[in-house]
Amino acid sequence: MSDNTASDTPVVYCQDVQRIYQQESVPVYALRGANLTITAGEFVSLAGPSGSGKSTLLNVIGGLDGFDAGEVTVGGTSLGALNASELAQMRLEKVGFVFQAYNLIPVLSARENVEFILQLQGVSSQERQERANSALQSLGLGDLGDRRPGELSGGQQQRVAIARAIVTEPVLLLADEPTANLDSKTTSELLEVLQQLNQQQGMTIVTATHDPIVMSYTSRQVAMMDGEIHQDSAMAS
Amino acid sequence: MIRLAWRNLQRNKSRTWLTAGGIGFSVLLVSFAMSMQSGSYEIMIDSATRYFSGHGQVSDASYIDQPRFERTVPNATALQAELETIDGLSVMPRVQAFAVVSMGEKSLGGMAMGVDFAAETRFLDIYDNVIEGQIPRASDEALIGSSMARNLGARVGDELIVLGSGKQGAVAAAIFIIAGIVETGQVELDRTLVFAPIAGVAEAFYLQDEAHMLLLMVENLSQLGAIGAQIETKLTGPLALQTWQELMPMIEQSIELDKAGAQLFYSLLLILVVFAVVNTFVMVLFERTREFGLFMALGMRPWQVIGQVQFEALLLSLLGIGLGLALALPLINYLSAVGIPLEYMGGEEAARQMQMGSFDRLFPKATLASLLTAPMVMIVGTQLAALVSTVRVRGIHPVSALRVE
Repeated sequence: MSDNTASDTPVVYCQDVQRIYQQESVPVYALRGANLTITAGEFVSLAGPSGSGKSTLLNVIGGLDGFDAGEVTVGGTSLGALNASELAQMRLEKVGFVFQAYNLIPVLSARENVEFILQLQGVSSQERQERANSALQSLGLGDLGDRRPGELSGGQQQRVAIARAIVTEPVLLLADEPTANLDSKTTSELLEVLQQLNQQQGMTIVTATHDPIVMSYTSRQVAMMDGEIHQDSAMAS
Repeated sequence: MIRLAWRNLQRNKSRTWLTAGGIGFSVLLVSFAMSMQSGSYEIMIDSATRYFSGHGQVSDASYIDQPRFERTVPNATALQAELETIDGLSVMPRVQAFAVVSMGEKSLGGMAMGVDFAAETRFLDIYDNVIEGQIPRASDEALIGSSMARNLGARVGDELIVLGSGKQGAVAAAIFIIAGIVETGQVELDRTLVFAPIAGVAEAFYLQDEAHMLLLMVENLSQLGAIGAQIETKLTGPLALQTWQELMPMIEQSIELDKAGAQLFYSLLLILVVFAVVNTFVMVLFERTREFGLFMALGMRPWQVIGQVQFEALLLSLLGIGLGLALALPLINYLSAVGIPLEYMGGEEAARQMQMGSFDRLFPKATLASLLTAPMVMIVGTQLAALVSTVRVRGIHPVSALRVE
């Protein structure tokens, strides 16, 4: 893992970010000038009700979605200047994603799912296997590498998704409601995994959620409302 | 990538096998039909050329359009010997002259043809149709067409007088004893031909070491082009080579016509299969939009996603082609050895229509074209069919795609 220890270096920098969708010619403001700075080693929750803009902000930070105004920098790269192909490369190199619905490739085994992203990076076969095994091992899935997603529980699938997200050693791990499909016990186990990644390996994590339990595991809570940062525990302190 | 593509094909096995089966069936059908065509064309050409005219002829170039008696091949023996130094080539001289053929008080117009019976009977099938008597053995014996024999009231053993105009206008006359009667089935030949030993006809018509044509037979028809090129180098003066294509243009034209009709049928079949593949990949795109969105979210470019699906299409086409060829090759191999009795295809009528003479079996012949045409078309067609669908991947937005249930 990269040495992402907590520091003042901004991993994410958002300044007056606006995202406007057109719905039947009516502009809908998903983000209304959001400002957010996240430094390396933080574990941040973006919370808020549905439509508050938390997933949109997460997608903008991850380079999955564009923005209409403002500035977004991730790992020192300004996203506004990147085209679609460069954004894809940025995602591949700098960001790990964990989705609510796990989104594993059903025809590949757990190990192959983790290896898949390394293959996109052009990592050699032997190194892929070693790194994938190591990532699965670190998440307690060492014995389940040959199983396909359909043969794993929800919690196990989400761990595989986390293994896939961290195996490339990204500067930022983005998780969009990662526990929404899990029961409370599995939710706690998974959050402990994320917390360990953050505390032991210094992984910078941003998660969108509306679950108070998830927020309780994070070191910084950012509340959103109507496309704006409504409350930020870092500011409050 | 290969592993992912192969496993994706296994996601919906029945659909994969149905599509591959369609590709395989079309490959089997087209490969087999094209092999049948190749075999039938070979037999058709062989049959037609072996019957009477040979695989080629060397003659005076002006004799081709205006076969005047004086337009001969000089020093025929030397040229024959020189041409026979070419591997796989046999050469037979012929002289021919218009003549009045008489017996008793009856006379008919005919064609006296001097041939080398010993050589021609080895190569040509026309002599297999002797219905009475035998092939002439002596220099004063002749073989005549059945219609001529009937019209003259002639029988084997009768004397025949041949009168004509020899070289430089001299009167040519010869008496032949009818050794045999041949029935070729071709009205013009049966009505006019008098075959006699070349020495006798040449002497009667005052020809020296001359022939009107040198008939050519090659061991392997596929070598005719190369052998023809060698022959050309040995021809001097006004002499010219005509191959079977020029001697019998109707044969080649009927082959081309048959090929064109068959190609239309093959094209329609392959287009139908390609449409089935389009349908398959429209479904693939529909079912896997979310997955493609994931690929792109993880950092794959749209062209990489398209490449992945195109590779799946390639595997699918190779699977189908493998199936088709696995069935076609043994079938063609077996039938090329034992042949298909023409009675199953309409018997004599089929043989007549296919101009196959005395052949009673059709032997499919696998050629590179017959085995590779359908597979190549299917690979290209499948790639295009898949591309019609997968090109829409470019319009997929990862965020929207990941929301697809």
